[in-house]
Amino acid sequence: MSALPMPLNTTAETETAKIARGLRERDIRLLADLVERNQRRLVRYLLYLIGRRDYAEDLAQETWIRVLQRGSQYNGRQRFEPWLFAIARNLAIDNLRKKRKGVEAASLPDNRDEILLVSSTGPSPFEAAARSEDAIRLAGQLQILSPLYREALLLRFQEELSLAEIAQVLGAPVTTVTSRIYRGLAALRSAFEGGGDSPGM
Amino acid sequence: MIRLECDKRFRELIDRSFLEDLSEDERQVIHHHLRNCDGCKRYVELTTRTIRGLRDFTFTGKQDSSARVLEILANHTETVRQHNVQLKIWAAFAVALSMSIVGSALVYQVAKVLAAPMHFDNAQVQAGVLVFWLLPSLCSALCLLAARGENRGIA
Repeated sequence: MSALPMPLNTTAETETAKIARGLRERDIRLLADLVERNQRRLVRYLLYLIGRRDYAEDLAQETWIRVLQRGSQYNGRQRFEPWLFAIARNLAIDNLRKKRKGVEAASLPDNRDEILLVSSTGPSPFEAAARSEDAIRLAGQLQILSPLYREALLLRFQEELSLAEIAQVLGAPVTTVTSRIYRGLAALRSAFEGGGDSPGM
Repeated sequence: MIRLECDKRFRELIDRSFLEDLSEDERQVIHHHLRNCDGCKRYVELTTRTIRGLRDFTFTGKQDSSARVLEILANHTETVRQHNVQLKIWAAFAVALSMSIVGSALVYQVAKVLAAPMHFDNAQVQAGVLVFWLLPSLCSALCLLAARGENRGIA
């Protein structure tokens, strides 16, 4: 049993090394493949982070340009997805900072993460995306949930990143990641508390 | 009404079980506890349902989203490539120019030595170096800037 993960790791290393080389060489075919595989996930991540559909698509485009420009910084030792999400996250925070600087003359928070906490306006993208009764119940809670918890939940339960990978994306310790996931789950669980059983339960 | 409160240690263990692999002992502890604690059973149910609900969101992107990104990337790559070519051209021109000037100075010194036995005066040597060395080498350097990209051998 313990020998099983080895070939998988080797394959993953080869794959990431290939991506790193392709990015260094600005291989447009490799980029096309990466976009094809990750564009939907990237938009979804940005949606969870900023809660706005229109803005998420624009940021996803900017993220890919950043990937092209800074491709040589990807070392190929870790998976590509956490690196991609980290770029998208930094870009989103920088953009939100710039936008709010223009609107609010008052000082912006020093902590980069706190910029995400200013609630987003506009229609909820979660209601339209809910595909089950439980998801519909969660949609409302997700919209009001702190983006910091929302993104941790997405990265863990939809993207299925490891805690260490999520920590890499967030630039935070693993303990912070787990704490955000627990708190996020606790907040969302309340959508079902009070006897709202789904037909399947 | 089921009490959702329970011993904090059990709840922490249950929470951890959703995020990471527990040891066999820890799994046994939870398993045993869940048999006797309706509150924790409900807690596990709700958490499972929450996680399942989270996986039931499907965001459909705009149809041409990937195509648009690829188009932007292709344009960007082309712009960067052209920019790099321009940089290389100017670098090559700078090298060619400095080689031309340094080379001319050297050729002038050699020509002066060689011209002495042939009784050429200094002005004739200068004119010779100018016509047969400096001007052709400067023209070659300038040709780098004027030639089309594909003919420069550096595009």
